[in-house]
Amino acid sequence: MEVLLVLGGIIMTNYLDLSLIEINNKLKNREIKPIDLVMECFSKIENNEDLNCFITLNKEEAIKKALELENKEVDNILFAIPIAIKDNIITKGLKTTCGSNMLNNFIPTYDAYVINKINNCNMIVIGKTNMDEFAMGSSNQTSYFGCVLNAWNKSKVSGGSSGGSAVSVSSRIVPFALGSDTGGSIRQPSAFNGIVGLKPTYGRVSRYGLVSFASSLDQIGPMSRNVLENSMLLNCIVGKDNNDLTSCEKDIEDFSRLIGEDIKGIKIAIPNFYVNDNINNDIKANFNNVVNMLKNKGVIVDYVDIDYIEYSVPLYQIIALAEASSNLARFDGIRYGYCTDKKINNADELYKYNRGEGFGEEVKRRIMIGSYVLSGDNVQEYYYKALSIRKIISDGFSNLFKEYDYIIGPTTTTLPYNIGEGQNDAVKSFFDDLLTIPVNMAGLPAMSLPIGINNNLPIGMQIICNKFEEAKIYKLASFIEKELNLNLDPRGDLNE
Amino acid sequence: MNKLLPTIGIEVHCELKTTNKVFSNSLNVYGEIANTNINEIDFGYPGTLPTLNKDVIDVGIKTALLLNCKINKSMYFDRKNYFYPDNPKNYQITQKSTPIGYDGFVEIDLGDKLKKIYIEEMHIEEDTCKSIHENGKTLLDFNRAGVPLIEIVTKPVIDNDNEAVLYVEKLREILLYGGISDVKIEEGSLRCDVNISLRREDCNVLGTKVEIKNIGSISAIKEAILFEIERQEKLINNNVDVVAETRKFDESIRETVSMRLKETNNDYRYFPEPDIPKLLIEDSYIEEIKKTLPILPSELRIKYKELGINDITINALISNMELNKYLLDLISMGTNAIIGANIITGDLLAYLNKNGISIKDTNITIDNLKCLVDKLESNEISSKIGKIILSNMFESSDSVDLIMEKNDLKLISDENELLNIIKPMINDEIKIEYSKNNEKTIKYLIGEIMKVTKGKANPVVVNDLLSKELSK
Repeated sequence: MEVLLVLGGIIMTNYLDLSLIEINNKLKNREIKPIDLVMECFSKIENNEDLNCFITLNKEEAIKKALELENKEVDNILFAIPIAIKDNIITKGLKTTCGSNMLNNFIPTYDAYVINKINNCNMIVIGKTNMDEFAMGSSNQTSYFGCVLNAWNKSKVSGGSSGGSAVSVSSRIVPFALGSDTGGSIRQPSAFNGIVGLKPTYGRVSRYGLVSFASSLDQIGPMSRNVLENSMLLNCIVGKDNNDLTSCEKDIEDFSRLIGEDIKGIKIAIPNFYVNDNINNDIKANFNNVVNMLKNKGVIVDYVDIDYIEYSVPLYQIIALAEASSNLARFDGIRYGYCTDKKINNADELYKYNRGEGFGEEVKRRIMIGSYVLSGDNVQEYYYKALSIRKIISDGFSNLFKEYDYIIGPTTTTLPYNIGEGQNDAVKSFFDDLLTIPVNMAGLPAMSLPIGINNNLPIGMQIICNKFEEAKIYKLASFIEKELNLNLDPRGDLNE
Repeated sequence: MNKLLPTIGIEVHCELKTTNKVFSNSLNVYGEIANTNINEIDFGYPGTLPTLNKDVIDVGIKTALLLNCKINKSMYFDRKNYFYPDNPKNYQITQKSTPIGYDGFVEIDLGDKLKKIYIEEMHIEEDTCKSIHENGKTLLDFNRAGVPLIEIVTKPVIDNDNEAVLYVEKLREILLYGGISDVKIEEGSLRCDVNISLRREDCNVLGTKVEIKNIGSISAIKEAILFEIERQEKLINNNVDVVAETRKFDESIRETVSMRLKETNNDYRYFPEPDIPKLLIEDSYIEEIKKTLPILPSELRIKYKELGINDITINALISNMELNKYLLDLISMGTNAIIGANIITGDLLAYLNKNGISIKDTNITIDNLKCLVDKLESNEISSKIGKIILSNMFESSDSVDLIMEKNDLKLISDENELLNIIKPMINDEIKIEYSKNNEKTIKYLIGEIMKVTKGKANPVVVNDLLSKELSK
């Protein structure tokens, strides 16, 4: 394989197209240096500027770090590997905007737990990725910094809210990105871009340093080109963190350990809700092909019902937005963040102008809904009622897992749609997450895995497991990935 | 027209004496340079999450037990949402649905009877920043943000200013003796809000409630209540409606003044804090904390009375928690309580007050103190010598025996030496006096002997010798 391409007179390497194991070997053999990987990233970013996946680049620090790593021992598989970080994950000294004008100039003083983790593995942070403002959206169209384009078809949305993270991986700028998932924000853009994205079990990865959207639903997760590499990044970022009381104490495990095991005889449930009439036929067809393939391999598949699952979207609107209305209250411009130029006469005006001008429309809409459902008697009428139905849905999943190893379904109801579409529809973005939200409600781990390309647009399926069974997800995902053997590089096959 | 009766309820916020803040590991100290004891959590920084200081839960349980409250064994925190510059996250973490303690009482002594002031609930919450208003600007000190508070809310069962003051004083005593808080009103570690309404004697429905916020001293509580009763009486008697509002007590004019109307108050949009999981408290855990409960003043009074200590001394002891601790230690070591109490509240306290110091600033140790009391009890030394020894003990870390030796304070117990002094005093005249009134005569002679020996004659031995000599 030729790894040097000449582009406009600049020598452009393509080491990052190699598998992680191959890159690791080259680093170990001193065939390449960390700086080669970093420089390749930044020239790819330049060549893909139109995709708009980054808000802030970490060029100077990344180069510095790469040079520092030159003399260090290559002690782990993620050593010197470039990674992109969603811009709602706090990075010390590196601007963290949450895709909002509110934090346009916000430079944090500490690192998120996951950033410490990836630093411990000596990964190299390349930059902060574009996202829907405060993770509120599912097409990356609410970002203050503009849309992210889909690398498969630049007229299409990237999905969201981790749109920049998804496209930075799908366009092969970086092998890895971190995203966050509150109602589907890792899985939905992963499906739209033909990459592998995992939302871990709630509590598996510390949320300390993740700017909260909905505390009881938020979870950070890995986004990657393939299943095995995804498990390697998960290995790095998990762990009990005393700074996050909702993070869980678990034994250290290798999430790739079940990859390659036989899947014959495993039992899979497909909720009828996941193949309902609202789902695009091409997506259903692709999904059914996978189901048939699995059946042929000796997998037992049943169609099941989960009570109240069809209410997941309204439940999400109540619970997530209630929490968000409170979580986003701290952005008032007093201690950090956007401050109006207008003359302010009292505290009320300060809140009104700083927040009115600092937040975008979608964020304000959601804060208003969230405040409404918590106001006065509404808290009983909406919020507590939603919590009790959430519990029923969660119990429904738990009961299924007594009998089944997996629950599967498509990730999205539609293929990536045109940029500009649905922007004025306040409800549409929630329905983009119709199939991903139930998983967050139940706190389960779930992956979106590419299962087909339709008219040059990727399609993804979800693999859901019981709490803390991520390793099982990787086992089935890897099996399907291998069987389908798709070319998921939107640039086509470079060697053709 | 029948009488107007006040109904009063009191909310007390007290800052807890824990090493760290409640939801972060910043230090919980008072009086430091502004904004030095803070971290990103106290500052409401994006991405931060609360931790939970276990000490605060322990102190909370302890307080609940001291206030005779039931304990919520399944408990969580709530968010109280409101925008204010001193509120870093624009929500306060508090307990609304599951306060750590509820349905308790504090007993006050009305002279002729005891009255239970019922506690509705007590809950844990975080303090806000301190705002300092200067030249039209507001400065914020985040050192106080996240300091643990317990809010104690009574039922509306207080009938007048006198009961209100007795309740707050009693509560302060309990919180102080329980090691819960410094309860310093002037430093803000105890803050009082009073709710007050008036109703006609024959009417069971409570009148419109007015809240007086953050009253700065116990005497101001009394004044504020009396002023407010009078103000509301006038309104009602003139057929003017009392407005539901929040007022404050203005120290300069000694009156309550309006701050804001209740109608415009925030809707706090309470909901369970999702960042802190539910806490389950086991009975065995509560039992462990029960073992650490101190003796409270009301129990102490009974105990001291039984030991024969007089009321004045008891009051002096209770009002000084530190000295009281010394006496309790002495008693637990088997020392005479009355002599110990007299020394502590007498010469010892006088010395400390005169020098404006605490007992910890002196060289006095509990062992030394015990030794002194024991010697006094066994009459090995006279009370006069005792005073001299004590005055030496403040400055010197020598043992009592060494102090006595160095200062030539040893008692003369040698019989021959004493007989040399006694014999010349005995004559027939004295013997006749003795036959009339032996007690008086012995007392007189001991006085004379003490004069000669400068108080160093062992009174036991002298007494013994005198009885023998006089009966000869």
